Amino acid sequence: MSIQNLNTFDPFADASKGADDDVQDGLVHIRIQQRNGRKTLTTVQGLSSEYDLKKIVRACKKEFACNGTVIEHPEYGEVLQLQGDQRENICQWLTKAGLAKPDQLKVHGF
Amino acid sequence: MAEDEAMFDPTLKKKKKKKKTTFDIEAALAEGSISEVGNGDVEGKDDDPKQKDEEADEVDLDLDFTKKKKKKKKPFSTEELDAALNDINTENANETVNMEDGDDNFDMDMLDFSKMKKKKKKKDLDDIMAEGDEKEDKENVEVNTNEWSGSDRDYTYDELLNRAFEIMRDKNPDMAAGKKQKFVMRPPQVVRIGTKKTSFANFTEICRMLHRQPKHLLDFLLAELGTSGSVDGNSQLIIKGRFQQKQIENVLRRYIKEYVTCHTCRSPDTILQKDTRLFFLQCETCGSRCSVASIKLGFQAVTAKRAAIRAKTA
Ligand SMILES: [Zn+2]
Repeated sequence: MSIQNLNTFDPFADASKGADDDVQDGLVHIRIQQRNGRKTLTTVQGLSSEYDLKKIVRACKKEFACNGTVIEHPEYGEVLQLQGDQRENICQWLTKAGLAKPDQLKVHGF
Repeated sequence: MAEDEAMFDPTLKKKKKKKKTTFDIEAALAEGSISEVGNGDVEGKDDDPKQKDEEADEVDLDLDFTKKKKKKKKPFSTEELDAALNDINTENANETVNMEDGDDNFDMDMLDFSKMKKKKKKKDLDDIMAEGDEKEDKENVEVNTNEWSGSDRDYTYDELLNRAFEIMRDKNPDMAAGKKQKFVMRPPQVVRIGTKKTSFANFTEICRMLHRQPKHLLDFLLAELGTSGSVDGNSQLIIKGRFQQKQIENVLRRYIKEYVTCHTCRSPDTILQKDTRLFFLQCETCGSRCSVASIKLGFQAVTAKRAAIRAKTA
């Protein structure tokens, strides 16, 4: 049990934090989570802190017609959270806006 | 052979479907080419006629003076050819299942295979069009590979390629045969339990097939699906949330790609070892050893009712 718990912990998180505050592994992790019923939530973790996430979320909300928010996380920094499955949308948008290269995007989920 | 094919067909089809319905940049990019080839393999039998016609014309021009030999080949029946094609298809399928997200040289292989197949097919059509006399059909392979030997025309790329593969297969019969059985992956049995939970019934069985600790696969699944779950008394995995079989399959595929097949040679004959906080994939076939991504939960949004959380912590 305790060993497995260690697995979810990135051994290099501290090291990379020293070099670059917000990016754990240089990747933007896009995840989906199920909520109650058919509702889902998309989270975007690992965007550079040089970007104004509030501006990004404002643009995304308008573009994808969904609600969204920026969450401050002690370990992962600012995380974008959008309602619904916006994984495809956010990938395209981030690429188009030049905020991330396609190979930096890591899409999780089913 | 036929059984293998039968086993693989559904997977291939599923994969195609999945490509449409779910989104995964990496997989989509990498699988794109393979799926195309896959399509060709599965549906080639219906789709190819046009191409065959065109190519058949070319061949007629090219091979004017090999007509004699062609007659020899006429005999072999469509079924035989299908069987031969199945051979190749099965191999392709094998590789496809494993290495969905194969890189460039894998794609090359696939392309090569499809070329080979096309070639055989056009002969098939030639034979049919020239209306076959019934003779024995054993010699077709040798004739195929040495078609130019009696003439002074230039051999084509396809013929050379074909020849190389035939020789390779002749000399290493176990290479092709050995891989086939290993690559059979049973699809996950996914059943909904009520409205909020999903059962992955053959979870333990699949772990055993992949030679991985159930805990490791469990961690990966839960991290990817962003949910919680556990293995129950009947060794089935109960996951919170509603998931369909193809979704679980998608995640499994990514797991296999990252943690089961060798990153160098894609052999599934690998050992996952933990070494100073990192996992390493040791290949038993080629000896390669490389570190694999650690399974990270990452940021998890709060999806439970906040009131309930407050009640718990307070
Ligand atoms: Zn290997």
